[in-house]
Amino acid sequence: MFGINKIIPINSNYPFMDYRKVFIKISVLLVLCSILLLFFKGLNLGIDFKGGTLVEVNTKNSNIGELRSILSQEFNDVSLQEFGNSNTIIIRLQNESNKESIQTINKVKILINDKVTEFRRSEFVGPTISSELLIKGLQAITFALIAILIYIWLRFEWQFGFGAVVALTHDVIFTLGVLSLLNIDFSLSSIAAILTIAGYSINDSVVIFDRIRENLRKYKKLELSDLFNISINHTLSRTIMTSLTTLIALICLYTFGGEVIKPFAFAMIIGVIIGTYSSVYIAVPTLLIFKFRPQEEDNKLI
Amino acid sequence: MKNYPLWKSILVIFVILTGIIFAIPSILYNEDSGNWFFKNKINLGLDLQGGSYLLLEVKSEVIFQEELDNISDTIRLIARGLQTNITNIDSDIDQIQLRFSNSENLEQIRKDFLIKYRNVSAVINENTIKIIINDLFKKSVREAVIKQSLEIVRKRIDESGTKEPLIQRSGKNRIVLQLAGVKDPERIKELLGTTAKLTFHMVDDEDVNSLKINRAPFGKLIISDFYNSEIKYLVEKKARVGGENLIDAKASFDPQQGNAVSFRFDTTGAQKFGKATSENVGKRFAVILDGVVITAPVINSAITGGSGIITGNFTSQEAADLAVLLRAGALPAPLEIVEERSVGPGLGADSIAAGKFAALIGMIGVCVFMILIYGSFGIIANVSLIANLFIIISLLGTIGATLTLPGIAGIVLTIGIAVDANVLIFERIKEEYKRNTKPLLAVKNGFDKALSTILDANITTLIAALLLFVFGSGPIKGFSITLSLGIIASMFTAIMFTNFLVYFWFALSKKKEINI
Repeated sequence: MFGINKIIPINSNYPFMDYRKVFIKISVLLVLCSILLLFFKGLNLGIDFKGGTLVEVNTKNSNIGELRSILSQEFNDVSLQEFGNSNTIIIRLQNESNKESIQTINKVKILINDKVTEFRRSEFVGPTISSELLIKGLQAITFALIAILIYIWLRFEWQFGFGAVVALTHDVIFTLGVLSLLNIDFSLSSIAAILTIAGYSINDSVVIFDRIRENLRKYKKLELSDLFNISINHTLSRTIMTSLTTLIALICLYTFGGEVIKPFAFAMIIGVIIGTYSSVYIAVPTLLIFKFRPQEEDNKLI
Repeated sequence: MKNYPLWKSILVIFVILTGIIFAIPSILYNEDSGNWFFKNKINLGLDLQGGSYLLLEVKSEVIFQEELDNISDTIRLIARGLQTNITNIDSDIDQIQLRFSNSENLEQIRKDFLIKYRNVSAVINENTIKIIINDLFKKSVREAVIKQSLEIVRKRIDESGTKEPLIQRSGKNRIVLQLAGVKDPERIKELLGTTAKLTFHMVDDEDVNSLKINRAPFGKLIISDFYNSEIKYLVEKKARVGGENLIDAKASFDPQQGNAVSFRFDTTGAQKFGKATSENVGKRFAVILDGVVITAPVINSAITGGSGIITGNFTSQEAADLAVLLRAGALPAPLEIVEERSVGPGLGADSIAAGKFAALIGMIGVCVFMILIYGSFGIIANVSLIANLFIIISLLGTIGATLTLPGIAGIVLTIGIAVDANVLIFERIKEEYKRNTKPLLAVKNGFDKALSTILDANITTLIAALLLFVFGSGPIKGFSITLSLGIIASMFTAIMFTNFLVYFWFALSKKKEINI
């Protein structure tokens, strides 16, 4: 219909595995760059994980300079930023002790009260809380990876679990690298994005693995790389369809969902694209390392 | 429809209809309906309806400090009776070390003191005594303090006129407050940040020298004035009456002195206050609130009626707030606000509007795309997707979950991911059809073969969502709830409802071929 359905390949037979070495090299390079970025530049931790104060205001007519000069007389570490449109401004104050900061919100409000039409939001996170949130976030990611690995290991052979987790780690590190590169605010919702990316990445790999497992039983004499190619091609239209519908939803969320949700939607968009790529070029080629034919073949279960 | 069992058809239709019916309260969103059915609407999180989330930490250590302070006073008195002096005091959070001028009477001091205090242990080492508060006592104090604090926080919030506050204990020493629709969080924070410990002390105006050298003699304290910290008072350390004996406090207006707070003592308080004032006519007494003197009037005559007024340079709001604090009672220990998230009603409303719009456009985008790719099967997938949304909304409403902004993101994401199960099924049917020309057989095999893939793929995402629920906080929990419900609902709709619709479509159109 209207030619659009041509983007979904029918009876495709692309030799994916032939290019794997090039793509693996690119991936290794990107992951290394991401690790270097995370190591040297780091993530732009928001107040959730660093502690501090945030006040979002609407102003009459973009007077960010005026607000900055008023506030910087009182505070050393204040930063102001336009948020979505030029009338909405976010004020951030970080690295203050607990007691000072809970009064900081009030101080800020009094100082700029007559320049502001609406106080839209104010947040304060004390140092004990921010470190607790960071620990909890890291725990969530670690336990999620372990739980997913165990599930895959129970449902498939351990080599599949290994491949899926390598791909997922690749996706998570790459996404974090992009967030670091673009200086995107890393907050609680970024943890949610990372975990959802993990879930999505695995989801994508599992569908291909499922087909590989099926084909391993079906084509017993076939060269592994050919078998992988066939399996990827069999599932290719589904892989593309699901990525596209998810991307449609995410792009709508990014464009229309409001400023607060933007960093989340952005991380998810990166994650879905890289997750789709990695299930083909990281998860599957990793299986080639093992040169295996699973146990089931010997048991003749079919 | 002979290919789809009747019981399954009934079950599917029943679930979908229930989903649609129970989504009605949330979709209409009638604010003040008392009807049980309409109460099944979605609760909006504070980030969507506006309001304040506050996390308070109870500083129980202060109580131990006070206890240790009393202990060292008692020991000083005992030691003085035995001609021994304390030369140095070293204090920590829950212990104190006293150094004495000589070590001869320490055993006696220890014995005398332990008769009065049972919840501490005292160890003598050369010429020091180290006093440590027992762990068991600390634990029971902490427990009592948090319970009492909860009580008082609840009273203060109720008195401040906040509707439907949610006040809960969190962990060992924290209190969570969720105050929907609060417009002025600064005032609430002010009310909570004040301990409101009110005491009445006699002022010593004769000992001018102590004030001059700024060193209080034993049993006395130097306290500054609330309005002018330059002004100091020398007062008795022991309070004559305290706020715990108050039974009522009201903001009032005194023609001569302006805004004031009038109060009434209970019987014990009235007796104590009457005795103190009748013994000290002509002297001054100080009203001390949280360590500063608010006012220190001269006693003209004995006050035996058990009531009085506190004047100061109050504004009417300050007088009203002080009355609230005195009525609710003092906090046993100071509270520290360690986290605050306040959202104004404007941002909340904007977030809802933006979320709804993003969901709508995302929905239309996905639906159009599915029809372009799969034709009539795309329409089936879309019907399934809409049913899925109804189920999510009705579940959110009936289980009383809270919808947050990340929760809306979870729903939009679900719209994108939910068609995945349908896509898996359709692609399988397509493959089976190519191999086998009988359409109904292709449909059956397609569903059967896609089933395990759908389960594997969704359960992994579900694991991530559940861990997010366990470790996530606040609004993020909302995301994991909508995502989890979305995944579960999409598995149901794809496996059961899409299947039903496909057979229904075949029965209806009497087609002999598949055109996906």
